[in-house]
Amino acid sequence: MEHYDVIVIGAGHAGLEAANVCEKYSLKTALITKNKSDLGKLSCNPSIGGVGKTHIASEVDILGGVICRIGDKSAIHYRVLNLSKGPAVWGVRAQIDRDLYAKNMQKYIKSSKIELIEDEAINILQKNNKIIGVDCINAGKIKSKVVILTTGTFLNGKIYFGNEVKEAGRIGNSSAKELAKFINKNFKTMRLKTGTPPRIYTQSIDYDILDPQLSENNGIFLSYFTKQNTNKNINCYITKTNNKTHKIIRDNLDKSAMYSGIIKSQGVRYCPSIEDKVTKFGDRNGHNIFLEPEGLNSDLVYPNGISNSLDKKIQLKFLRSIKGLEKCEVDQFGYAVEYDSVDPRELKNNFETKKIENFFLAGQINGTTGYEEAAGQGIYAGIQTVVKIKKVKFDNKVFERDNSYIGVLVDDLTKLGVTEPYRMFTSRAENRLKLRTDNSYERFATNINTKIFNKTDYNLINKNIDNEKKIIKILESLKYSPNDLMKKKIKVKKDGKIRNGFEVLKFLDPTTNNFKKFFNITINQKLLTKMYFDSKYEVFYERERKSYVQLNKNKNMNLTNIDFNKIPSLSREILEKLNKYKPVNLNDAGKISGITPSALFQIIKHKKIKGTKVA
Amino acid sequence: MFNTGTIYSNFTPLVKSPVIGYRISGEDVLLVLKKLTKRNFSKDHSIMKLVELHNIDGTILDKCNVVYFKSPNSFTGEDVCEIFIHGSPLIASQLEQLFKDLNIPGLRLAQRGEFSLRSVLNNKYSLKQAKAINLIINNESFSSLEYDKKILFEGDSVSGLDPLREDIVNLFSEITASIDFVDDEVFNFKKIIKKSRNFFNNCNKLLLKNRTKIEQKNICRVMIIGPVNVGKSTLFNKIIDKNRAIVTEIKGTTRDILSNQIIVDGKKFEIFDTAGQRSKQGRIEKFGYKKAQKLSKEIDHFFILKDKKTKNTDLNQLFKDFDINKNFTLIETKSDQFSYNTKNIKINHNLNREDLIKRIKLPRIYNKYIDHRNHKLEFNSNEIEFLEKILEYERDILNEKDILIIAQLMRNILDDFSYEFGYINNEDVYDRVFSNFCIGK
Repeated sequence: MEHYDVIVIGAGHAGLEAANVCEKYSLKTALITKNKSDLGKLSCNPSIGGVGKTHIASEVDILGGVICRIGDKSAIHYRVLNLSKGPAVWGVRAQIDRDLYAKNMQKYIKSSKIELIEDEAINILQKNNKIIGVDCINAGKIKSKVVILTTGTFLNGKIYFGNEVKEAGRIGNSSAKELAKFINKNFKTMRLKTGTPPRIYTQSIDYDILDPQLSENNGIFLSYFTKQNTNKNINCYITKTNNKTHKIIRDNLDKSAMYSGIIKSQGVRYCPSIEDKVTKFGDRNGHNIFLEPEGLNSDLVYPNGISNSLDKKIQLKFLRSIKGLEKCEVDQFGYAVEYDSVDPRELKNNFETKKIENFFLAGQINGTTGYEEAAGQGIYAGIQTVVKIKKVKFDNKVFERDNSYIGVLVDDLTKLGVTEPYRMFTSRAENRLKLRTDNSYERFATNINTKIFNKTDYNLINKNIDNEKKIIKILESLKYSPNDLMKKKIKVKKDGKIRNGFEVLKFLDPTTNNFKKFFNITINQKLLTKMYFDSKYEVFYERERKSYVQLNKNKNMNLTNIDFNKIPSLSREILEKLNKYKPVNLNDAGKISGITPSALFQIIKHKKIKGTKVA
Repeated sequence: MFNTGTIYSNFTPLVKSPVIGYRISGEDVLLVLKKLTKRNFSKDHSIMKLVELHNIDGTILDKCNVVYFKSPNSFTGEDVCEIFIHGSPLIASQLEQLFKDLNIPGLRLAQRGEFSLRSVLNNKYSLKQAKAINLIINNESFSSLEYDKKILFEGDSVSGLDPLREDIVNLFSEITASIDFVDDEVFNFKKIIKKSRNFFNNCNKLLLKNRTKIEQKNICRVMIIGPVNVGKSTLFNKIIDKNRAIVTEIKGTTRDILSNQIIVDGKKFEIFDTAGQRSKQGRIEKFGYKKAQKLSKEIDHFFILKDKKTKNTDLNQLFKDFDINKNFTLIETKSDQFSYNTKNIKINHNLNREDLIKRIKLPRIYNKYIDHRNHKLEFNSNEIEFLEKILEYERDILNEKDILIIAQLMRNILDDFSYEFGYINNEDVYDRVFSNFCIGK
């Protein structure tokens, strides 16, 4: 009987990232999938990235993950969302050629030491609440120290077209019923729902009357390591629903699985079905539909924005009421998927289940949605496995919610649980200004090593980090008084404060020419943009959670006579630190590590209340 | 640290008294009770039982009443029990020692406010209600007591800040939509700034409107005026009645105006005694009279005193000098010396205080001015302070060009709201986003 360090069940985004990172850290890793040819299959939309999603993906990338690299290799169209709003919320989105992605992914996995097992896991084997292996239909019992379960929507999966129901995880794949029994017996689960739109034949669409969306080629890619995209880039197109469409849908709500009451589970508010959109928001000006090609050689188009679970005939009818789709033919109709997911509060902070040791869950099974969210969890569970099994030193601080989107994701899931499929938004991160894609390499720097990167990539990161350090060192050595700056036509407060070059950077127009003129240093635009926003947002980095205005205003507040023990809301750890270091004023208190902005805030509040009573 | 373990604490002061009460809350309450009383309480929800508390060695610590509340039907929402020991601080210290000796992991002394915190976390009370409990306990004025009780019993819906809270969640959700859902929502910076400006304008308006009200919230100000030697000070002294120790605060005697705060029937008054009005006034007297005139704008009600000798011209002069309008009572003094044929109130110094107060209808005067005022009052002083805090963001937000910094500052405001008036979390914002905007590619 084979003996593995890790068995990963499921070869979607979560499973692949988990297996990959385990293998890189030299764990003996097996990946079980029902069908080898399904490996790397994008089961929903043919795109990767977007606001919030790119943010997770870039963190996966810098942890040695595969989603961004393979994504770039298979990309056929790029767009950067939110370009007008500053890099903290830029979201690169790449349209992906499905076939290329699967092909590239399969090639990559085959070149690794991951052992691919084509089989169906039917039971998880444990002894005294500790993992001992997996039971498979064909291979029988396989031993391992750790099992990472990443079965996505396959647990008790059911798909719905109108009133028609099938048991399946996604179209063409049977659902995992046996495994579901084990999960439902041992963990608190819930029923979630998601949907997918129909797929339309590209030849049947009249593109001539539609607005194209061109691919933007501005050198921004998913992966930090991608230098160029060599694939041919093609257009997406936009069309809209209209009143006629809405009427067809409204008249046939009884033929929708979600509206006829067959499906009772919770759907996604931010990815509403077209039935939802029409019912809740009425006719408006019509709802946008993005026609996304499924690949260079594919004859299918993914019409993003009209996921639904209507009867097949109705689907065709409403599609043909839409501009450009009048003569459309459908390959695969839209459907709703209902599946079991585990309440993520069953997990410890490291994604190991509380009940069974060495049993990790990652991906959609934890109640999330989206490729990037799955990838983030996969790599996280993989890394935590490595930390646990190999006792590898890993700086887990980067996985706190103030330091990464993966941290936000982990924290939200394990602490709050979910009520609907969880998707990442940048607004979930309180520390949004710091958690940017342009500085992931810096946030994760302590964990970047030669195990996860080949020599070329490793050197590239370090060269960039060194270069930046060098420039910052020079900038910090330059001093400017308000008068100096006035002479250079930079408006600052005449506060007599001497600013160093880095602090002055935020007042400049961040072009390389300007930078060269001002500091006499040559810099590339990418690094300059990053440093400019570091300079600008620095003031928010450590105190984002509580009013920086308040803190700033009170920074000279005298704390010498204050008895911290009398502030009821301070935690013991913080009390200990305050009593140990005895800060003279609020500013000093803020510099002590571990003192949170909210603690400072409570001190201000306490002091103010006390002050008024005395007076 | 918070939220874990079973916690205990006394809820009466640890002083010699008929009883001392202890409250325990958490998942091990039944276990604690079992060890203390050798008895199973699991079926005795909300029933008071007389039991013996046993020390570890089996000796009896006390014989006392114990009541158990089963989760979630308790103050904190967890299993709770209350133990009413005999009121000896020594027994209390023995009991606390016993809690430690029981050796139950996680059983510990509660931190300050921890019971309330748990009740908030378990949705038994909102944060605001929990705060109201504290305010009620520490209240010193009856009418703000009523306000706080209203919060506690009727929930959060009574705050004047609620509309602002709605506004800020809406505003924040709009900003959120414009950042996180770019496929669906068109980004309109000017519109966001305009809405932000409106929000701060509303804050400013509310603040101005309520700040003055709050200052004079609970106190009815009554001024005694009249010609010299008509008996003003006699009336003043009788009303404030220093001997009966109901005088709450002596503001300090000035050479010109005397004032004193009193509580009558639970209603707070500030009574002013003024220099008399006469044609030939000394310099200091004149100064005092002028000061009283000035103060008269802030007075709710006037007692105008007169006697048989008072001429109509004197009274007319008073109406000219003071901002009286119709808020006055005409009182005829020295009714033991003179006889009057009017319907005015008549007093003399033979009246005892109780009768006097009845006769001059002090409580009714209070109702006329203050209840009306409180009815219109939207905020308490906490909320006013909070508004001021929010307004500190105004300039920074309205002058900012970077939508992300605006969003960050808005989040601070949202956090402040959470901190003061109950948690607003990301989900609340998303609820708003998804119900106001059609989101979703």
